[in-house]
Amino acid sequence: MKKVIFLFILSFYSFLIKAQYNTMTVPQALYGTTFNLNIHESVKQLVSGNQTITGSINNETFWGPTLFINKGDLVRMNVTNNLNESTTLHWHGMHLPAVMDGGPHQIIPVGTLWQPYWTVMNQAGTYWYHPHLHQMSKSQITKGIGGFIIVKDPQETALNLPRNYGVDDFVVALTSRKYTAANQFVNGTDVYGDYMLTNGTPNAQITLPKQIVRLRILNAEIERGYDLGFSDGRSFQIIANDGGLLNAPVTVSRVKLMVGERIEILVNLSTDLTGNSIDSNSYNSGQSTGFPGGEPLGTSNAFGSLLNNITFPVLHINIGTTTSAPITSAPTTLANNVYWTASNATVTRTIGVTGGGPNPFYFAASNNATAIPFDLNIINQNVVLNTTEQWTITNNQGFGNAFHLHDVEFKIVARNGVASQVGTHESGWKDTFYLPRLESVTFVAKFDDFADNDVNHPYMYHCHFAGHEDSGMMGQFLVTGTMGTDYNLLSTEFSLFPNPASEKLFVNLKDTSIGIYYVTIATITGRIVMMLPQPEWQSGIDISSLEAGVYTFQMIDKQTKSVTTKKFIKK
Amino acid sequence: MKKQFFFLFYAIIVLFALSSFTFNEKSKTISNFKLKSASSNKWVSLSDYKGAKGFIVIFTCNKCPMAKFYSQRLNQMNEKYKKMGVPLVALNSMDTLAYAEESFRRMQQKVKKEQLNFPYLQDKKQNVAKDFNAMNTPQAFVIWKIKGKYIIQYEGAIDNNAGDYGKVKNHFLTDAVDELLQGNEVKVPKSESFGCKILYRGIIDKMK
Repeated sequence: MKKVIFLFILSFYSFLIKAQYNTMTVPQALYGTTFNLNIHESVKQLVSGNQTITGSINNETFWGPTLFINKGDLVRMNVTNNLNESTTLHWHGMHLPAVMDGGPHQIIPVGTLWQPYWTVMNQAGTYWYHPHLHQMSKSQITKGIGGFIIVKDPQETALNLPRNYGVDDFVVALTSRKYTAANQFVNGTDVYGDYMLTNGTPNAQITLPKQIVRLRILNAEIERGYDLGFSDGRSFQIIANDGGLLNAPVTVSRVKLMVGERIEILVNLSTDLTGNSIDSNSYNSGQSTGFPGGEPLGTSNAFGSLLNNITFPVLHINIGTTTSAPITSAPTTLANNVYWTASNATVTRTIGVTGGGPNPFYFAASNNATAIPFDLNIINQNVVLNTTEQWTITNNQGFGNAFHLHDVEFKIVARNGVASQVGTHESGWKDTFYLPRLESVTFVAKFDDFADNDVNHPYMYHCHFAGHEDSGMMGQFLVTGTMGTDYNLLSTEFSLFPNPASEKLFVNLKDTSIGIYYVTIATITGRIVMMLPQPEWQSGIDISSLEAGVYTFQMIDKQTKSVTTKKFIKK
Repeated sequence: MKKQFFFLFYAIIVLFALSSFTFNEKSKTISNFKLKSASSNKWVSLSDYKGAKGFIVIFTCNKCPMAKFYSQRLNQMNEKYKKMGVPLVALNSMDTLAYAEESFRRMQQKVKKEQLNFPYLQDKKQNVAKDFNAMNTPQAFVIWKIKGKYIIQYEGAIDNNAGDYGKVKNHFLTDAVDELLQGNEVKVPKSESFGCKILYRGIIDKMK
C-alpha cells in the first residue's frame, strides 16, 4: 500500500515537473533566394506576469526565421530595420564580400532597407546571423535578435542524414537571461543569465522521434560557455563544426560549446522507450578556472548567476514515436575536406589578448605590442588576396574568451603550439573557437575570393562575448588585391533616368568602367531609406517601395570610392 | 574597530546619497509646455487646464508593442480622472526624422483608429521629454500643481502587467493619483518603467 501511495505521489510529482515545461519554438523555415527580414521589437511571455520586450525578425517573438540557402545560389536579403535604434546584421560564417558582411560599419538606420546579396560559397552547414553594431551588440543580442542559416549542398544531400526540419532535424539556440522586477531583460554589466532560453523558450521541452535525430546547436549566449551532454551519459556523434561536415563523425559524450560556435550532432533515440524522457544538460560545475559560466555560485555580482558552476538542463527531450522513414544508421564517412596545414602558410601573425588594466579586453597587433581597443578608423591587419596565413591568438588574461574571424572558415592546427591538443570535436572547418585563459590557439586560413581596399568595409576579428566586443576586444582587416588604375583619368559623373521614376531607376555612368560600389538613397530631409551595396544597377534599381517625393541618390564608385550625389523624384 | 568605523562612515554616505536622491526626485519641477495635439489638431498647454489639480503624463508612441497594449486603459483613466481634476495627456517624443511611423499624420490615424479620448501631443523637439527625463514608451508621470508649480510625484510604469489587464497586481499610476487626490503622500513614487527606448536626436546612446 505504502508503495502504491509512493508511486502515486511520484507520478503526481513528475506530472507537476512535466507541466512546467514549454514546447520549444521551432523558428519558421524560409526557403528560396530572396529573403525579406524585418527586424523589430516585440513582446513575449517568458516568465509569469508581465511580458518582456524582445527583439525579433519577421513572425518570431524572440530570434528570427531559419534561412535555408543552397550552395551556388545567388541570395538576396531585404533587411529592414524597424527597431527603435540603428543596427547591423552580420552573416556569421558566410564567405562573402566585406561590403555585404554586415559588420559594425554597415549601420542600418531606423526605417532603412539594406539589400546585401551574395553567391553562396560555403559548404552545407549551420551558420547564423546577428546584430554587430559596435557598443550595441550586447544590448541587441540580449533582446533576442538573430537567426539560423542552413546551407545545403549536393554533397550533404547525398548522405543518409536526418534533414526533415522540425521533425528529425532541429536548430537549437542556447542562451540565458536575467530579469528585472518588471520582467524585462537585465542589460547592464551582468554577463550571465539566470534562466535558460532555448530558441527563446524558457524551460524548453521537445518531443523527438524514436530514431536518429540531428540537432544543430548554437551557443547564442552573451558570455556563457556550455559543456553539453545527456543526463544518462549516452554518447552522441558530432558530424559538423562551424563551417560544415567533418570528414567522419566524432563520438563523444560531452562537448564544450563557446559563444558563437555551432555543432551538428546525431543522437540515437531508436532504443529509447516512447514516453520516456532524457535531458540535454550543460555540465558547468567543476570547470577549470576561466571557463565562462563555471564561476562559483552567486548572484550578487556581474559574474554571478543561478546557473553558474552547476549542471542544468538546456532541453528536456521526450521520446515520441518513430517516423515513417527514419534514419536508422549514421554514415561513417561524411566529407572529403582537404584542410590547410601549418606548412601551407606563407604569412604568420600573432595576436595577443592582453591582461591587466581597468578594461583588459583589448587585442594587441602582436603578442608583445601595446594593446589598442577597437577603433573604426584603424585597420589592424592587411591581408593580400589568396594568401594562406597562420594566425596565433594568445590569451594572456586570467579569463577565457571566444575568438571569431569573419570572411573565411579556417582550420585549427595547434593549441598551445601542440597539434595533438586540438580537440577532435573541433577538427573541422571553424570560424569561432574557445580561447582558454593563458593559452594560445593557432589556425590556418586562406583569404580567397573577395578583395576590397575600402577602409570603410573591412572584415572583423573579435571576441564573441558581446560585452567584450562592445568594450573594444575587436580588430579589423582588409583583404586587398592588385590595383593599377589611374584614378585621375576616371569620371564619376552620372545621370538618372527616368526622372521622375515610379518603379525602376536607371543609372547612366559617363564612364562605365568605374562601376558602382554603393548607393544610398535618402529623403530630402536626410532620412536614409535604402542602402544598396554593389547594386546590380545595369538592370535598374527597384524604387517601387518608396513613398512619392524627392530623394537624394548618393553613389560611391568602385574605382575611386568617391561620393557623387544626384536628386530624383519618385512618382 | 577601524572596520566598524569604516562601515558606519560608508552607511552614512549611502544614506545621505539615498536621501538626497529621493529629495531631488520628489522636487523635480516641470515647466509648462505647449504642444500640438493629434487628437484635436490644436495647440494644447498645461496652463489651459485652469482647474486641474495635476496631470497624468504618458510618454508613448505609435510603434512600440508595449505601448500599444495601453490605449484603452489610458482612455478609461482619462474618463475617470479628468472629472476629478487630473486629466491625462499623452506625448509622442519620438524623432520623426528617424521614424516615419511616428509622424503627426500617423499619430492622427492612431487617435482615430483607437478612439483616444485624451490629447495625443507631438513633442517634436523632444524638449518636454528631456524636461521629464523620459526614457521609455510607455512611461508614466504624475505631476501635481503645488504653489503654482508642476511637481513630479510619480514616475515609472502604468501598472505591472502590460499584456493582460486582468492580471495586474500593482496599479502604480492610478494608486499614485488616488493617494494624491486624498491628500496623502505617494507610497511608491517610482517604479521600473519598461518598453521601447526614446532615442534623443543628436545624443549617441552608448552602452556603458
